[in-house]
Amino acid sequence: MTEAPREPRGPAPAPQGPHRLPALVGAVVIATACLAGLVLQVVQFTGHIRVFPWAAVLALAFAAATFAFGFWILRRIRPVRAPDPVPSAVAAVWGMTAATGAGIVANGGLSAVWSKLLGLDVTGAWDAALTAPVNEELLKLAGIVLVAVVFPRALRDPVDGFVLGALVGLGFEVSENLVYAFQAVTRAGATDPALAVATTTVVRVGLTGLGSHWAMSAVAGTAVGLLAAARWRPERRRAVLAALLVLLAMGQHWLLDAPLFGEGIAAVLVKVAAVFASTMAVYVLVRRSYRRRMRRALAAEGEAVGMRRSAAVALVTRHGRLRAAQDVARPEQPAVLDRQERMLAAAEDRAALDGT
Amino acid sequence: MADTDGRDPGPRPPDHGPGAWVPLGAATAVTVLLVTVWPLLNAALPDTEPVRSGQALRVGSEGGYDAALTFERGGWELHPAASTADRSYLFSRGPVELTVRSVVPVEETPPSATELWHGLGRIVRTEDPDARLGDPRPVAADAGAPGLTGPLSGDEDGVAALYPSPDGVFAVQLVLSGPDATPADLAAVEDVVRSIAFSEGGSA
Repeated sequence: MTEAPREPRGPAPAPQGPHRLPALVGAVVIATACLAGLVLQVVQFTGHIRVFPWAAVLALAFAAATFAFGFWILRRIRPVRAPDPVPSAVAAVWGMTAATGAGIVANGGLSAVWSKLLGLDVTGAWDAALTAPVNEELLKLAGIVLVAVVFPRALRDPVDGFVLGALVGLGFEVSENLVYAFQAVTRAGATDPALAVATTTVVRVGLTGLGSHWAMSAVAGTAVGLLAAARWRPERRRAVLAALLVLLAMGQHWLLDAPLFGEGIAAVLVKVAAVFASTMAVYVLVRRSYRRRMRRALAAEGEAVGMRRSAAVALVTRHGRLRAAQDVARPEQPAVLDRQERMLAAAEDRAALDGT
Repeated sequence: MADTDGRDPGPRPPDHGPGAWVPLGAATAVTVLLVTVWPLLNAALPDTEPVRSGQALRVGSEGGYDAALTFERGGWELHPAASTADRSYLFSRGPVELTVRSVVPVEETPPSATELWHGLGRIVRTEDPDARLGDPRPVAADAGAPGLTGPLSGDEDGVAALYPSPDGVFAVQLVLSGPDATPADLAAVEDVVRSIAFSEGGSA
């Protein structure tokens, strides 16, 4: 470089004034729904926690471990860099409280309708497949949309939708595991509550965990990313694609819950594999598109500050950023890291408008 | 945005301003609709359906056995919304409520009837902190299945019974009670509890 590099511009300022009103209202909606969902679940399971305290502690420990691992890995899979922790946490909390609480009410209502209309035997076999794909996918989807409205910078690309959607699903999955754990204690006759909790958790995390709520909501979240990227005014093709993704998420859920191919472990594994594979197919597509646009955007931002194209594009990976930072003397590393952050932020702004 | 160094200011990020009202409204509406429409539709449908007298009704199926109850007396009603096939059932007849649960222990060695009785005692306490099961005494169903029965006290007094399946894979718990049921009401229908019968052919 022959001239001193200019400073990257950093992220564009957040919108001010009346443009912030939907975000504020959305935040109130999220807070209200999360609080209501939490209270409902606490009330619902107070009796079990009181009578089976050690089983409840065990179930909570399993839930905490599942959540910690899921939260780490799902944020880590976002290409270029992890999503901001606050929107990530809000997404997961929506899934854990609001969506699960509302799901208990909505599923209870719809299951009761099926029991009355179809009879107990048909409902026993098909209830989950007829109830959960509609209620639970829509309730999780609503949370992803609300997160996009409240944190417009955090969810403005299909890849953001994939990751934040997966986090909403993770939260839902963790709470649902707790619900199933408490139900398992009763179902097992409460003769060994801790064993019942451990058994159901092993099945739900180890057997079906790979193809469960996080995977379905990642697909639905990709649809939200598509719409948010178009400022919620999608052209026809984009709107159809988003609708198909939401239908795919519901279809994945239906497949997992439907009493098809028997109830053996092999059948469950096949269904879980199908859900996981279809979600990964979506991930590969959105990841490739995002990295391509980010490389272009980083090249443009690099050019604006007099940086070599290869050096600018190398910042697209965590490894590339680390190497660039290690290439300078230790005292200069914080400044380099700061410049990288600002360049990434500016490139993300640019990539967001580069067509998805 | 003020651009102090005269460079291309670059693209502005999408601020989701006025356009964000539509997704905000849609997401809120969907959430509110799902938690109101289904419960309202459920409330609009009848809560109970009559149980035909003399009919044997399957209430559990595990291992190699089915369990069925026979309602010889008329007037019993099933509450489908509070019931799940082969797992739990709520029946009522006048002021008396009969809750039937089929439980499947997860231990490798099936627990004894006494252990199952203590488990039932814990389960009833999840719904009523004051609920207590009295000491059980052995009982035999009309068809011969051995079980335990004993008094239930708490917010609602009643009678509980428990019958393990012949292979020990599952057990049927029955609780007769009701907020307005008198001991005479309970005694008048107690025969339904003894109608439990196990037959071979359950789901493996």
